Amino acid sequence: MSSLKQLQDLIHEKYGIEPSKLDPNASMRETGGLDSLALAEFLFAIEDHFGITMPDDDANIDTLGDLALLVDKVRAAKTA
Amino acid sequence: MAPHGGEPGALFQALLDGQSALQPIFPDLPKPAAAATVPFDETRWFTKLQLAGVDRVSQLAVAAADLAVRDAGLAMSDADPERVGVYAGCGMGGAAALEAAYRGNGRVSPLTIPAFMPNAPAAHVAMRHGVQGPVLTYSVACASSSVAIAEAAKAIQRGEIDVAIAGGSEALIVPGVVLAWQAMQTLATFQPGEAAGAVRPFASDRSGFALGEGAAFLVLESAERARSRGARSYATLAGWGLSSDATHLTKPDAPGQARALRAALRQAKLQPRDVGYCNAHGTATRIGDVVERNALADVWGDDLETLRVSSTKALHGHLLGAAGAIEALITVLALHRRQLPPNANCDQIDPACSLNLVTQNDTGAPALEAAVSNSFAFGGTNSVLLFRRA
Repeated sequence: MSSLKQLQDLIHEKYGIEPSKLDPNASMRETGGLDSLALAEFLFAIEDHFGITMPDDDANIDTLGDLALLVDKVRAAKTA
Repeated sequence: MAPHGGEPGALFQALLDGQSALQPIFPDLPKPAAAATVPFDETRWFTKLQLAGVDRVSQLAVAAADLAVRDAGLAMSDADPERVGVYAGCGMGGAAALEAAYRGNGRVSPLTIPAFMPNAPAAHVAMRHGVQGPVLTYSVACASSSVAIAEAAKAIQRGEIDVAIAGGSEALIVPGVVLAWQAMQTLATFQPGEAAGAVRPFASDRSGFALGEGAAFLVLESAERARSRGARSYATLAGWGLSSDATHLTKPDAPGQARALRAALRQAKLQPRDVGYCNAHGTATRIGDVVERNALADVWGDDLETLRVSSTKALHGHLLGAAGAIEALITVLALHRRQLPPNANCDQIDPACSLNLVTQNDTGAPALEAAVSNSFAFGGTNSVLLFRRA
């Protein structure tokens, strides 16, 4: 189960950023133009979308790929 | 960015035509409510990403300030960014953000605070234009943006800055805030289907105001600077008067208002009879209109009949923290065009409000040289801006 596609869809819907414009391995801050405020709001939207609670100590995640891995982990823990 | 749209000329024409922007809102509320909201497409000014954490009150401010800067032909590259300032009035801040937080069933957006904070509109305007001088917010209830314009003019006069983007914004048409205003017993009552004419300033049958939202900004600079860059000048801000009633938190006070009017006249070195038009605060409350009339009568004395008066709140609603700015803009356009917006919905003037009100079939003012815009706030602060033809 990878959440990457859903995150790409969510970021497109929310911020109008095409999946092709944001390499999952690139910095969301530097490449995607998401500043700390937009990222905080995006994490909030992810929680709403998946019905999960993101851990507070992973706020420094920088790439969409890493974020997808974390979301996978939280979702797996929830269903376990 | 007014309830009549984002083009000042169209706004002024709508006022001349007596077009009301008031309409019923929130039919689910226990008591009928009317307000004037802005037809606003935020995507003209923001990408989806830029909208993160930006409340409507800031969106409207950014749009209005952008229109003002463009209209002024102001190239920020020609200005020292440290000598440009933003002076913004805002009564409440991001009401929609706060309302969403209350109504989120415990899910509160992490950006609620930066969206709500009342100085966010000024900060967003500053970021949009790279303004590095003073970026200040004045929260003085209904006088907020009038005070902001006066403070901006002072900073220019003192030589602290070269250019000011001055005005204000307000966007609080959300159910919780409307309920609070209804509880205050100051909003106009109206029959079904008659929301558009609910606000009747100075009329015998007036019953209060209606809320409005919007934003307006003016670009201020010294006459010398405007001349040297060949700017189109709409008017000269010749005087301003700030006073406090120091009597009651919400009850207006004619002597306090008269002090502000006299201070503005004194600074402009004008006599009352030199001023041909007053854009009144005119909230159409039972008490407020009489008090304002008495203040004008006190200052104008035997010349009161020479002063033509209208409250445009009948048509655009009460923009609260943005009221001073939108009404300053309307006053400036009245001077520039030598035409006066009418005092709408006053079929029968209250004898206690005896004033020379502008009527819809008599809007010409070919000899108009100077005009005042009144803003009188809860809290007792009075602000008067006096403009002369440029």
